[in-house]
Amino acid sequence: MRSWMKTLLVAKAALAVTLAAMPARAGAIENMERERAVLILAYLDPELQPGEREGRLETAKRRLVDLERMTLRDEGITGRNTPVVRRAFANYDLTFLVHAAIEKNLAVADQWMDQLGLTTQSLMSARHGRRW
Amino acid sequence: MFRLGLSSVVALRLLAAGAMVLSDDPAVFAAENPTWQPAPMERLVKLPASYLKKSLDQDFAQSPLGQAIRDSENQIGLKAQTMADLQNAVGSAAGDVGMELRHQFLAEKKAYVALMSGKNALRKKHLETKAKLFERMLERMGQDKEGASAGRQELIVQQQQARTRFAASLSKVDLQVFATSAAPESRYAAEYGKNMTAIEQLAQAISAHPMSDSATRDGQPMSRQDAVRAMLGEAQADLALIQQEESMLGYMAKLVSLDAMALADEAMDVARAESDVPDAVNPAGAVSFFVSR
Repeated sequence: MRSWMKTLLVAKAALAVTLAAMPARAGAIENMERERAVLILAYLDPELQPGEREGRLETAKRRLVDLERMTLRDEGITGRNTPVVRRAFANYDLTFLVHAAIEKNLAVADQWMDQLGLTTQSLMSARHGRRW
Repeated sequence: MFRLGLSSVVALRLLAAGAMVLSDDPAVFAAENPTWQPAPMERLVKLPASYLKKSLDQDFAQSPLGQAIRDSENQIGLKAQTMADLQNAVGSAAGDVGMELRHQFLAEKKAYVALMSGKNALRKKHLETKAKLFERMLERMGQDKEGASAGRQELIVQQQQARTRFAASLSKVDLQVFATSAAPESRYAAEYGKNMTAIEQLAQAISAHPMSDSATRDGQPMSRQDAVRAMLGEAQADLALIQQEESMLGYMAKLVSLDAMALADEAMDVARAESDVPDAVNPAGAVSFFVSR
């Protein structure tokens, strides 16, 4: 085979590799959701002492910031119409909890409860009873 | 003095008839039916616009059809050279040799028209294949664009909005989470900035590369769809020109036919003038035989 043809084949192969490169990293959203669950558990865990809770929250928050960014920057999930991706982008304020909270000057816990509709007023007016 | 036999006159008549038939049958020399099968469309639609044309041209050049067109062009070049030589020779020859050379010149002209018709038939096949391919590519690109369901389109919009919102709040989050914290910046955050700088440099190098995706027309960058549409337009323009060339070849064939008929008539006149058969074969010419004893 002539040398220029070999060069051409190599160039074609390189182009094909480029075109097929960077497959979507699987599980970015799942990892973020897992970390968010850890953060919320740290808020809700009655067993934790305030100092311990504070430390756990801070660590989880920093990790969650990174994971939220990874998800938002992931071009591989653009237009990927799966239930997980659809649900994640349906509500920015709940999915990207830390970024949304800081954007609105709220504590992360307040932002989460706000998104779930748990206001002081609604909690105060709640009462025990059987749901029919 | 030259003597052109009856067989030569018949040959000229046949040449004239052949030249006329030729104009109606342009594919006579494409009898072997060489073909070109372009690369699969799934691969072609992914190629950068500027590379697509080169890739198709190269693919075609290696095909039996491309080889047949090259062979045909070589033969036409040689035929044109022969015709030029004969034209010069006809001008300086006279008598039997002159007549024979004129005969040969006509035969070569006929062969030239036949070769050109054959080549045009091959070119037409190439251009029609190319035009069909571009049409299918445009159709496919349209499907890809329109094929996004309403749900997917909505998702893409949501993702764009999320990224815009994220970009707007980025520095504020950095300030609040990282700048005020005693903990060091995460490895991801630290590396991301460095990598982004490198990626931007690479992207600039790609956009400045002569083989990059940015196909242009009149200095304006074109999308892949625009580039394919432009190539389809070029193929259709070439097809229209081939149609015009076919008309031209038809006229050439007709001229060859008329020249051949004229040469045949000329040969018949000369043969008649030199014939020993008495010219007057009517009764008036034979009166002298009867009036004298």
